[in-house]
Amino acid sequence: MRALWATYTRELRAYFLSPLAYIVLFFFLVVNGAIFVFLILNLIDPRVMVQDPALFYFFRFSWLMLLLLVPVLTMRLISEELRSGSIEILMTAPITESQVVAGKYLAAFTFYASLWLPTLVYGILIARQSEVDWGPVAAGYLGILGIGAFLLAVGTFASATTRSQLVAAMVSVSLVLLLFLLAWFAERVDNEVLKQALSYADLFAHIDEFARGIVDTRRLTYYGTGVLFFLFLATRALEDKKWR
Amino acid sequence: MIEAQNLTRRYGDFTAVQDVSFSLAAGEIVGMLGPNGAGKTTTIRMITGFLPPTSGRVTVAGKDLLDAPHAARRQLGYLPEKVALYNEMRVEEYLAYRARLEGLGRAEAREAIGEAMERCLLTNVDPKLDVRRQIIGTLSKGYQQRVGLATAILHQPSVLVLDEPTVGLDPKQIIAIRELIRELGRERTLLLSTHILPEVELLCNRVMIIDRGRIVAEGTPESLRETQVGNPAVRILLKDAPAGAGEALGAVPGVVSARAGAATGSDAAWVIEHEKGTDLREAIFREAVERGWVLLEMIRERASLEDIFVRLTTHDVAAGSAEEPAASEEAPAADETPAEPSEETAS
Repeated sequence: MRALWATYTRELRAYFLSPLAYIVLFFFLVVNGAIFVFLILNLIDPRVMVQDPALFYFFRFSWLMLLLLVPVLTMRLISEELRSGSIEILMTAPITESQVVAGKYLAAFTFYASLWLPTLVYGILIARQSEVDWGPVAAGYLGILGIGAFLLAVGTFASATTRSQLVAAMVSVSLVLLLFLLAWFAERVDNEVLKQALSYADLFAHIDEFARGIVDTRRLTYYGTGVLFFLFLATRALEDKKWR
Repeated sequence: MIEAQNLTRRYGDFTAVQDVSFSLAAGEIVGMLGPNGAGKTTTIRMITGFLPPTSGRVTVAGKDLLDAPHAARRQLGYLPEKVALYNEMRVEEYLAYRARLEGLGRAEAREAIGEAMERCLLTNVDPKLDVRRQIIGTLSKGYQQRVGLATAILHQPSVLVLDEPTVGLDPKQIIAIRELIRELGRERTLLLSTHILPEVELLCNRVMIIDRGRIVAEGTPESLRETQVGNPAVRILLKDAPAGAGEALGAVPGVVSARAGAATGSDAAWVIEHEKGTDLREAIFREAVERGWVLLEMIRERASLEDIFVRLTTHDVAAGSAEEPAASEEAPAADETPAEPSEETAS
């Protein structure tokens, strides 16, 4: 446990010590700010009929940034250690592969979650002008964190497979994109069971649900299973490096 | 303290290390010598638990590396060939992280870090030379090496394994690191890999020579000299090149041969090879006195480790077996050529 904690704190520190963190944070806020402004401009337009809570639209658009955030946040996690060779000192310490993977993943998740922290301001801003139903907002954030957790695990796995950060980034973009697009396949398949299964994995539908305030535990189970599965794969990928 | 039994490691079809066994007693400083690509690093990685062996066992301080990996690793400090640290961290922070990784408690860690930094000369009263708060990426290679060593001794391991600790350093740094290694070796068992021969002579009380994934010779530098090299020899310098010296020296009982060496000016040098286990210096002196030669110099020729090393690890076509040596680099496990020159001389 101590070893896991040591990896976690080191990794988190590495995020905040690298310029990357601040560049990501900056552009993340720029894009989110733009989305927010666009949203407000639309909402105050009297011709637009609004039924959903204001922040519904915010979650609906800004979560798409995951497609870029995930590879950027996870690509160096393990690849960098493999390339520089620091993995050698790391793995000869009393620590297991799964502790390394878990520590690094948790650090990535913590950083990811902290990226969203400033966006709470948007809720507060709206609350000053009109009524905000905080339930759906909380659910929206839960969805953002849940899907983020899932996809970050995918990115962690991609990073464990290669010593090149670029390859890691490409692998995770591809995998994340595939997961995004699962729902589109659902429309195309004939098999009823498969169709059902694929539509369960429809992340677009998930985030809409969350943003409307619906918390479905099946979604959370899906993410949880996904996290465990991909972290397991990452651990195996790291173990496999020994044999070659 | 280290017990390696029949270690073999294959990478696909290539056998990097084959059937290597050795053991290190407590307090020993053992040098592992070998040309580049001989399998030193692979062997070391197996001992430190970074690479699992294809077959064979390793125990460190009585703990099996496979059955009790964490207990075994706690007994072991390791400086890899390529010291890769986290460049964005400060020295002190990095060591604190390592201490936590090794499972040291807070107070324990603080003490261990202080001591490790002190021993590895990372602290200094002169603030310019005190690197405790410096960012690792900005340190020179020599200092990074010291941080690596500090990491290796942080958890007070009973065994230290150093893979080419002085590679890539400037001469001054090399001397400093060697001094440090000698210091660290006083109370620990130490395994050191290198291809720098003087280093071994300077630091180690036992040497293993590895070539093509096998141990081809083992012993103290002294015993290696005796078993590995042909006849001992004495080199003399005679004033004014007296005539008939060759025959006269060759006739001294025990002499195998007397060869003329490189002369300096009008003086004549002779290299007198004699039988093993004899000391002919006195006889040669008396011979010179009897014949009225002026003996300017007399030196016992000592085979350097260098000679032994070259002898054991050079595979020229003329020597011994009909097998071409280039091909045997990839020789499979079932290698049936005990006629290799290195094997003959090994025992």
